[in-house]
Amino acid sequence: MTPFLKNMFVIARRDFLAIVATPTFLLFLLAPLFMVGMGAVGGLGASQLADSARGKGRIVAIVDAADVEALGKADARLRDALSGGERPMTLEVRIAGPRAPDPLVVAREKGSDTYAVMSGALERPRIIERNEGSTSGRYLALLAADVLRDRAAGPVPPVAPHFEALTSGGTSIAAQQSLGFGAVFAIFLMTLLLAGQTVSSMAEEKGNKVIEILAAAVPLESVFLGKLLGMLGVAVLFIAFWGVVALGGGFVAALQMDPAAIAAAGKPAAALAVAPASGWGFFIAISLCYFVMAFLLLGAVFLGIGAQASTVREIQMLSLPITIFQVGMFSLSAAAASAPDSGLAHFAQAFPFSSPFAMAARAATDGAHGIHFLALGWQAIWVAMTVYLSVRLFRAGVLSGGSGWKFWRRNRLAVTAIAAASTGAKAAAETGTPH
Amino acid sequence: MTELAVEATGLTKYFDSFTAVDHVNLKVPTGCIYGVLGPNGAGKTTSLRMTLGIIDPDEGISRLLGGHKPQSVRHRIGYLPEERGLYPGMKAREAIAFMGALRGLDWREGRRRAGIFMTELGLERVIDEKIRKMSKGMAQMVQLIGSIVHAPDLIVLDEPFSGLDPVNQERLEMLVRRERDRGATILFSTHVMAHAERLCDRIVIIARSQHRFEGTVDEARALLPMQVRYTPRDNDDAVARLLPEDAERKGEAWHFAIEEADVEPLLGRITASGHGVAGLSIARPALHDAFVHIVRQVDASFAAMPEGDAVEEVVA
Repeated sequence: MTPFLKNMFVIARRDFLAIVATPTFLLFLLAPLFMVGMGAVGGLGASQLADSARGKGRIVAIVDAADVEALGKADARLRDALSGGERPMTLEVRIAGPRAPDPLVVAREKGSDTYAVMSGALERPRIIERNEGSTSGRYLALLAADVLRDRAAGPVPPVAPHFEALTSGGTSIAAQQSLGFGAVFAIFLMTLLLAGQTVSSMAEEKGNKVIEILAAAVPLESVFLGKLLGMLGVAVLFIAFWGVVALGGGFVAALQMDPAAIAAAGKPAAALAVAPASGWGFFIAISLCYFVMAFLLLGAVFLGIGAQASTVREIQMLSLPITIFQVGMFSLSAAAASAPDSGLAHFAQAFPFSSPFAMAARAATDGAHGIHFLALGWQAIWVAMTVYLSVRLFRAGVLSGGSGWKFWRRNRLAVTAIAAASTGAKAAAETGTPH
Repeated sequence: MTELAVEATGLTKYFDSFTAVDHVNLKVPTGCIYGVLGPNGAGKTTSLRMTLGIIDPDEGISRLLGGHKPQSVRHRIGYLPEERGLYPGMKAREAIAFMGALRGLDWREGRRRAGIFMTELGLERVIDEKIRKMSKGMAQMVQLIGSIVHAPDLIVLDEPFSGLDPVNQERLEMLVRRERDRGATILFSTHVMAHAERLCDRIVIIARSQHRFEGTVDEARALLPMQVRYTPRDNDDAVARLLPEDAERKGEAWHFAIEEADVEPLLGRITASGHGVAGLSIARPALHDAFVHIVRQVDASFAAMPEGDAVEEVVA
């Protein structure tokens, strides 16, 4: 190992241990639990709300007594033909007659949401709908037509369909694009959570004056890179921890389940499987590489900016522009993911700070492997350049600023010095004249 | 040995219009203890930082350990900065091993040596204590050990004695001598003359950003005439006629300065006069006096130039 790398690892080791060996780290590590918990509670509430609302929704048909049975059968048949969320609201059938309520009144009845009300003869139904052109209204018209057709054609033998899913016809482009978007989002979320921390990591050494020991003992480049590496270690630990938890959780869940249920569930799961164009193994591996690169690139930028800040308050102020920068890179890459092969996508893939995100998305839609190694190299060059520039700025601005470590202080001193010098000269001139 | 451990020539640093260090030269022979003396704000720290390559000089170059660039011989150098700093959450042993590891020492060896050094310096109680629980002086000793744990060839200490109690100052002096005997070169800055006088083989005095004197402690002391303290047996004012005009009487003793050539004639006059000798000391002035003398001279020359002086006052 070269001395440079050795120095880097000494710094990285110190940073890693200093972060990990604290009780606060446990809180950091377990923070996603709160997120999951809050998400679960929120999701539960929302779905309950939706369920209760759904139970109260209805559509109403006011028809002659003779049509009630036929309408009920037609509704059952049509309802079966639709799946899940496409199914209309519960149908409520009322018998028309002289004492039947006005459809407008029915539509406004309290206690339930009425989406559409059909009245009048089936040949010419009057449909009052809550929203113009709604599915509920169309469905009622379809029911009426079905009853009439049934009546005219007589009994028709039921259709017994045999459904078969496409298993090996390749994955749709839309699915691959959403996979790409998913990769962009996952990498973005992790860098947002983890890379932002590098902004304050130089503050520690500036605060406790260790920076001079470091600057004297090792090249600043290895200090910066070591710090990045230490933070990356924390990030990888974080991801590995949650990865293991997720795998373990999945395994336990699988053990709890009935084997027959797994076998049953296995079939549609396999049938629905979506594969990225470059293959799952490559896609996951390259996404991890891109996460590392995204972390190093953005982390290097934040580290460099943070190293210029001299107070905790300045660092706090910096966190907003930094988050906005990250969101900007995310939006650019997300736009690129939804339009592969566009000019925007190529720009996002080439621009160094969005490149890791955009290239991960490309791995989902484009089968070529070689281009990714090129991209990784390109990004690595930018990591090196960012660190180099940060070190230059740090040396010029912070380290050369005399014992105060504040580069603007000496400007102020110089100004007062010049002012004092001119008054001094004036005083000398005045005392000089009497003689 | 004629090889130079430090050879810095023409080091200059401008902080905007103010010249913090103005063409300072440092030539430190290998294996000696070398003191950089100067009043507060004279530019000692900045000179040392430039010598070690921590900050880049605006002019001049620094070569260490036989003509190497400072950056290329980092692992052979130990440095105690003026602004002390350690990670407060680290244990003393780890902190020392960490500083050693930065200079290329193996972690395990660093921990072992940390234990030995700390025991020697009476710090065995706090070997596994965290830095934040230590007193400032203790932490400073830990940092000092950290800067020499890798047995460097050149040790640079910036104001190493400040903040230490007399016992620890004594231990530090012992440590410095021992490191010199091991073969290391020690370069340290201070404004406490007593340490420099006891320790240094050679000194440089920096005042007002420039270097004003270079030589041995004795050479510095020789800048001033010898100081005589003479107490006659009888208490007669006629003694004054034997002595130089500027002789001052404090109690029973007379104080005055004489040139080296006047010592024997003076002794002759005193013996012949019959006033007797109850007490007599003829000695070089302490380094302290020589230092104050040099710095005052520099200040006086600045006082002759009001503008320059005004600038300096503000900055100081």
